[in-house]
Amino acid sequence: MKTAVVVFPGSNCDRDVQRAVTETLQTQVDMVWHENTKFADDTDLVILPGGFSYGDYLRSGAMAARSPIMDAVKKHAAEGKLLLGICNGFQTLTEAHLLPGALIANTSLTFICKRSYLRVEQTDNMFTSSFKVGDIVQYPIAHHEGLFFLPPDELKELEDAKQVVFRYADPQTGDAGAKYAPNGALNGIAGICNERGNILGLMPHPERSTFGHLNGGSGGDKFWKSIEKAFNERGAL
Amino acid sequence: MLFHAEVLITPREGVLDTQGKAVQKTLTHLGYSGIDEVRVGRIVRMKLEAADAASAEKSVKSMCEDLLANELIETFAITVKEAVK
Repeated sequence: MKTAVVVFPGSNCDRDVQRAVTETLQTQVDMVWHENTKFADDTDLVILPGGFSYGDYLRSGAMAARSPIMDAVKKHAAEGKLLLGICNGFQTLTEAHLLPGALIANTSLTFICKRSYLRVEQTDNMFTSSFKVGDIVQYPIAHHEGLFFLPPDELKELEDAKQVVFRYADPQTGDAGAKYAPNGALNGIAGICNERGNILGLMPHPERSTFGHLNGGSGGDKFWKSIEKAFNERGAL
Repeated sequence: MLFHAEVLITPREGVLDTQGKAVQKTLTHLGYSGIDEVRVGRIVRMKLEAADAASAEKSVKSMCEDLLANELIETFAITVKEAVK
């Protein structure tokens, strides 16, 4: 599974995610500067990393969503290939209309950097098929704009279509929902996929849970292996 | 002709404006009473060349839809004035 990580000016998790994928999957990871207009032909997974692209000017992800590489990102996703946005990458995917919704300022109005617990809500996609619905994972969050927002009707459509993949949860009880969202995200939504299941965006950082010396090594490696397994079994969607 | 355009971008009705709420709370702390609601937005000002005011406005509207505002969460209002030499 050949992977490319897009680097925007202000990305700061690009090398973390590169290392997490390279070491977990023993695979090649290209770093692609945002001013490029295409990926290598055999690229299977594109990752938009976390950070503060363009200093979060205008709105988080707004400028990145319109940068030169994004036509290639859209083409890649339209072909059913895998596209993952983490944190600022998720914000960028919504700004690019590749995923529904918007990420707005946390209700606390503070930057929140802490461990977060998520319940896996859906496994019929290219990213979480090795998990079981109800599994709890712990990936940390680090963001100021992480409140997932959609107007009520569209939120219901998203829920009905089972596109919510991760929801903030209580690790003890396994309950998940708005009251466990540290950022005020509607319905406690932490990550969503598109209808086809080949695009995933999430605010928490699995790459920060991948190594033992970081954050207790709490299972981020399973996330990368899950993507690889789905890819090996199904290829592109 | 040169035009001055101003775009006022504000959070859409129904979208939680945490910044507005924080400002309202602080104003109340300062002793200002009777504030029903505070919404915080931003202004984008630009100078642009266009044939006339209508085409300047049309162009700015397109910029709002493409980049300046996210219509899922924000609304925008445009004013265009001819630049005085």
